[in-house]
Amino acid sequence: MKEMKLLLVDDEEEFVKTLSERLEMRHIQSDVALSGKEALKTMDEDIPDVMVLDLKMPVMDGMEVLRLTKKAYPGVQIIMLTGHGSEKDEEEARRLGVFEYLHKPVEIENLMQIVTKAYKNKF
Amino acid sequence: MNKCAEKEVAFFGKITAGITHEINNVLAIIKESSGLLEDILAITEEDAFPHKDRFKKILNRISGQIQRGNDITTNLNRFAHSPDYSPASVDLNEVAEQMVLLASRFARLKNVILKAGHHDESVIIKTHPVALQMALFESIEIILDLITSRGKIILFPRKTDNQYVVGVHFEDTTPDDIVIMQSISSCDRWESLEKTMVYLGGTAETDDSALEILLYLPNSIDK
Repeated sequence: MKEMKLLLVDDEEEFVKTLSERLEMRHIQSDVALSGKEALKTMDEDIPDVMVLDLKMPVMDGMEVLRLTKKAYPGVQIIMLTGHGSEKDEEEARRLGVFEYLHKPVEIENLMQIVTKAYKNKF
Repeated sequence: MNKCAEKEVAFFGKITAGITHEINNVLAIIKESSGLLEDILAITEEDAFPHKDRFKKILNRISGQIQRGNDITTNLNRFAHSPDYSPASVDLNEVAEQMVLLASRFARLKNVILKAGHHDESVIIKTHPVALQMALFESIEIILDLITSRGKIILFPRKTDNQYVVGVHFEDTTPDDIVIMQSISSCDRWESLEKTMVYLGGTAETDDSALEILLYLPNSIDK
């Protein structure tokens, strides 16, 4: 299996960059986008296999990014990672085809397992 | 509740929910940062860093406090979302457990243990979630006000003969349980609890032999 392309999307820069660094220490490379718009732009240049996406972001929230991504690139596996999303948010995300819906904070080993599972699910 | 009061509660809930989200983001950054320190420590040779064990212990402490902070914000967030839909379907078991988490600090200040007794099956009713939590909290407060130093308060949701009830039981109190029981319905807060229960379409009663405040609730309320 080729190396996974992972995109982490979160407006909390310190969170997402630290998470990326921890994944790198576990031999998982990732790109980082700090907004929904930046995520869409990154995808237009290089389509990721898996995306870890924050729900609550300014201007364009995670739900909108999920909707647009699933429309343009249905093969991208998306894991929603949210602070305190409601049950309604989770229902909507699942309806739109999210691979997994997780709550922050998440253990790094747990996240790695789900990311790997999502990647395998793509093929 | 009148329209203005409903708006006020909704406003309070919305702002609080937003702030819990912000706090959670802060906790997530602290968690990942301390996790990264743990990762670095794990690949550091023992000889290269003589204080490794002390660092590990401190990082464990930080990790425990992050978990504690996260539990608190999760409960606060759920509470803040209570006014989102009213009336709404709720499981009395979950409401009781949630109330225990929210009110445990108030109980601790009086050296009182607060617990939820779980009914075997879900006890679902359609009610006003905020007012229901208020009624439970008022019941707990009535007992806490009368307790001087110690005791146990247990919330027992149940369904019997088509009646939905939450029993707020107490035991091992100081002063004696009987003294507390006799003072409940004459205390200042009792009238307020009764009013809350009327709003919920139910009643508040006491059961002297069971040492309980009983909150009787209808299975459904329309407005």
